[in-house]
Amino acid sequence: MSTAIDWGAVRAVIWKDVTAVKRSKAVVLPMLLLPAVMLLGLPIVIGILAAGSGPMNVESLLNGLPSNLAEPILSLPERQQAVVLVLGYLIAPLFLIIPLMVSAVLAADAFAGEKERRTIETLLHLPISNRDLYLAKLLSAFLPAVAVSWIGFACYLVVGNASAWPVMHRLFLPTWLWTAVILWLSPAVAAFGLGIMVRVSARARTSQEANQLGGTVILPLVLAIVAQTSVLLLADLWVTLVIGAIVWSVAIALNVRGARRFARDTLATKL
Amino acid sequence: MADVAIRTDGLTRTFGTQVALSELSIEVPHGEVLALLGPNGAGKTTTVRLLNAVLDPHAGTMRVLGIDPVAEPDELRRHTGVLTEHAGLDDRLTATENLLAVARIRGMAIEPARRRIGELLERFGMSARADQRVAGASTGQRKRIALARSLLHDPQVLFLDEPTSGLDPAAIRDVVAMIDALAAEHGRTVILCTHFLGEADELADRMAILHRGRLEAFGRPADLATELWTGIPATLELGGIDPMAAADLVRSLRGVLEVAVDGAALTLEITERDVLAHAVRELVLAGADVFAARPETRTLSDVYFEVERRRAASETEAGPPRPPAPPPPPVRSPETRAQP
Repeated sequence: MSTAIDWGAVRAVIWKDVTAVKRSKAVVLPMLLLPAVMLLGLPIVIGILAAGSGPMNVESLLNGLPSNLAEPILSLPERQQAVVLVLGYLIAPLFLIIPLMVSAVLAADAFAGEKERRTIETLLHLPISNRDLYLAKLLSAFLPAVAVSWIGFACYLVVGNASAWPVMHRLFLPTWLWTAVILWLSPAVAAFGLGIMVRVSARARTSQEANQLGGTVILPLVLAIVAQTSVLLLADLWVTLVIGAIVWSVAIALNVRGARRFARDTLATKL
Repeated sequence: MADVAIRTDGLTRTFGTQVALSELSIEVPHGEVLALLGPNGAGKTTTVRLLNAVLDPHAGTMRVLGIDPVAEPDELRRHTGVLTEHAGLDDRLTATENLLAVARIRGMAIEPARRRIGELLERFGMSARADQRVAGASTGQRKRIALARSLLHDPQVLFLDEPTSGLDPAAIRDVVAMIDALAAEHGRTVILCTHFLGEADELADRMAILHRGRLEAFGRPADLATELWTGIPATLELGGIDPMAAADLVRSLRGVLEVAVDGAALTLEITERDVLAHAVRELVLAGADVFAARPETRTLSDVYFEVERRRAASETEAGPPRPPAPPPPPVRSPETRAQP
């Protein structure tokens, strides 16, 4: 029998987890380091390089890309081409690592961390259904991952446009590709990674074990798939939207299955 | 039966090949304290987890407050409170935040929950730590915060796993008084898992002794004592008479089952209390000074150790345990046996 989701209980678990994570330097620092390097450090370096050096010849690189992407860039002044190519397009697929990594770190903490801290049994004795508990743990990792991605992206827009201003003399970010990646694809990738990591976390005894399992076996597999599809991302905006829809479908299927199969009994057996 | 808070029938749970609980059949009336006793690995925690729908049974049935934990687990957990063996508090949150999270999961509105949390933390002497992170709290402080958490919603059934471990003597006294009041005054049913027999003796209306998942004995301590021993223990403190002669005199009286000499005192096993009065009269007539004559009550501890002693003896007789053998029926008090 399917009952309505108890959103009050779900929100309470999310509040507890997010409050606790915010106070945990061991979780927060690695979670913010990669976005800081990618979204703040990289555009600054590229902006400085572009401003300080002469025109970079990226024509041969652009010739290897789909014409609908290459032509508008080739029509720009030569000094701007490299900046727009790198900051506007090439980094976008790499950005997908961020929601994946943040959600993985938080998901590892979701169940395995609770087991490690011996707080999981308290949770299991509370009136929250298996499905709602799974959903709460999923959202406890998903929402911060999306928040970090979006806030990071907002920072990237400011820093990217500012650092490229001496070359561009206009705001050129976000591109449509970036917008689609951030709003549509990156949440899907986070949900996809969580579909795997939450289950790994439920089976692992410690968050370290969950991280190792997720980090050494499962996430590289996911990253490989992302890397393969990232070439496609550059082809066309519609391709990005379609890939996003596919990733969302798989992520939803994985998580619906995960929620259905999630059982207190399995978790309690390993306490 | 309306007055039964907890009823299990043939409740069984295994983990792989290991039987954690085997055919547990007990009944606990509303407002009573049941002490679940036994060594580590006896199945106490498994029983609590089964009764609160955290684990699924592999055989048997159960009802808690008339609710089937398998069919309506969340409905059941709304009416139960649990103190787990480890306090289970998140070190990164304050005491109030830990309790507030649980209150919100239980559907309590924030402001009433805050008031209730304040009251409970004060009751357990934890007000000063209310807004401090749990990370710096001692084991006893954690236990008290966790106890407050288990009482947030005023549960009808309370499962307490080692509630006083790690507490100082004053806190133990307070917690024992609190549990007693919950059952006696507020009609709450308490399942108390403990290794401290003195605490169980003070609180428990009934006791269940588990060993390797098997129920060895269940019932009221006094009733179980009647089952285990034929007589009532008594002590006579004497003077002015040779203890051996006194023992011979007392042994000859009707209703005296056993006599042992312990210095100047005699320890007796008698069929009823009147026998002791008769013995005192005969000893006085024989010229003895009787300084004290006490019929003793068998305590829960006496029952526990006797059951354990008999089990160990029967295991020694039977040789190494054979796992697949079906368990023999447990020792039960007459009242328990009479129930369906």
